Amino acid sequence: MSAAGRAARAMPGLLRVGFAEVATYRAEMVIWFLTSTMPLVMLLVWDRVAEGGPVSGQDQASLARYFTTTLVVRQLTGAWVVWELNAQIRTGRLSAGLLRPVHPLAAMAAEHLAALPMRVVVLGPMVGLIGLWRPDALGLPEPAMLALLLPSLALAWMLHFVVQAAVGCLAFFHEQSLGVWSIVGSLYVVCAGYMFPLSVLPADLAAALRVGPLFSMLGVPVELAAGQLRGGAALGAVALQAAWVGLAALGLAVVWRAGVRRYEAFGA
Amino acid sequence: MSRPALLGLGRAARAVRAELAAALGVALRYRADFWLQSVVALGWVGWTLIPLAVVYQDRPEVAGWTGGEALLVLGFFLVLEGLLGAFIEPCLREVVEQVRTGTLDFVLLKPVDAQLQVSVQRIAPTRLPQALGGLLVVLGAAAALPTPPGPAEWAAAALLLGAGLVALHGVFTLVISASFWFVRVDNLSYLLQAGLDAGRWPIDVYRLPLRIFLTVVLPVGLMTSAPAQALRGQLTGPALAGALGVCLGFGALGRAVWLRACARYSSASS
Repeated sequence: MSAAGRAARAMPGLLRVGFAEVATYRAEMVIWFLTSTMPLVMLLVWDRVAEGGPVSGQDQASLARYFTTTLVVRQLTGAWVVWELNAQIRTGRLSAGLLRPVHPLAAMAAEHLAALPMRVVVLGPMVGLIGLWRPDALGLPEPAMLALLLPSLALAWMLHFVVQAAVGCLAFFHEQSLGVWSIVGSLYVVCAGYMFPLSVLPADLAAALRVGPLFSMLGVPVELAAGQLRGGAALGAVALQAAWVGLAALGLAVVWRAGVRRYEAFGA
Repeated sequence: MSRPALLGLGRAARAVRAELAAALGVALRYRADFWLQSVVALGWVGWTLIPLAVVYQDRPEVAGWTGGEALLVLGFFLVLEGLLGAFIEPCLREVVEQVRTGTLDFVLLKPVDAQLQVSVQRIAPTRLPQALGGLLVVLGAAAALPTPPGPAEWAAAALLLGAGLVALHGVFTLVISASFWFVRVDNLSYLLQAGLDAGRWPIDVYRLPLRIFLTVVLPVGLMTSAPAQALRGQLTGPALAGALGVCLGFGALGRAVWLRACARYSSASS
């Protein structure tokens, strides 16, 4: 059986184990959740900014909807594989993972996916509270865009996971690669539409950032869900997401292969 | 001071010196990552100014704070975050690990105050450039204020920054104590960092219930906005006293909870 087939067959079991683990370490899950609440802070900041009138055409309601969506999308597309890989490579725990019939990265991906239901459970009340404060912050896009939202979310999650895993694999060469990830993280908060919608930037700058991979990690599904990205532009953005995922997966395959060879050379 | 107490103090100082030297050695283990992280920390300072510039791009004032005044808050935030990353976070990560593996026993057995020991056992010097950068931001923003602060304002701001550090250390101790109860919380350090994020912006941005929360429950609004208020010359005497009181109160609370947590700590070996 092929490696992909083995991973697919093991997936339901891995997901069950992952979910049980998340349910056991609930406190840890809630903490991870709370570490990505910057959109809540930005929601309040931009609400104040738009008090005196709309900013670049966005009023308080549309900004509230944008950041509520950012909070949700950020939670659903979050990944921690770079910390996991760094820890496993440094401590040598990865050796056990490599011996198993399922690819270690597939097992880690399953762990990430298994955490999603719990994240939704924590998100519910938080989004409900925002809805109580500002009811127009909640809303769904038109049905056609809603259909595009699911693939867009999936691609954003994949891109985040794959890029993190690729950076994590650098630990094969430098023993620790969290520094590299902190660079990506710094770029992300500014270029992905995390701390401000790209639409408040000068048009040329925004257009340039929309092509980049960081916007594909977060901004595309956010703007789709907030009803700001429509029609052909939306289709193009999702296609671009898919292209970035493909490119990143290629990069991951290269560093993983080279890294594992080197890892074995350490005598692990 | 009596002789034994003096001896204890000298011993503590020697122990702290030894711990810090060892911590520095540990921090310098991974050279490539070390240099990268130092550069990142410094670059990050310029980078964090971008959201502020975007927020203020066509607004002279938000919630009663001009862009320059909000820059003061951001500067103090960077100083605190840098110091948190350099001294507090690495220790936190280490203690949580010690609680999990049971090696905290060795710390508790040593004849030096345990809270002192766990507070200096690890440092991350790569984060210090950020604190330095934050200080430069504060100096630059203060010089650009319409009425630059005088010595009294600077003294009040320095006092508040110091008190803010005490409060931060108190919160850190509370978080460690929590790890005695909920063992697997190795990501608590990220939580601390995320909690601090609200202090990036002037506290008046937030509405009333949240403002109270950020003053007395998680005093990050106080830590960054109060020194900025002092430099603006808008902090009254009672407000200064109140801010100092809350910060020192957090330090004391941290100490009290730590002692209780240690008393009920059941080691891994017993």
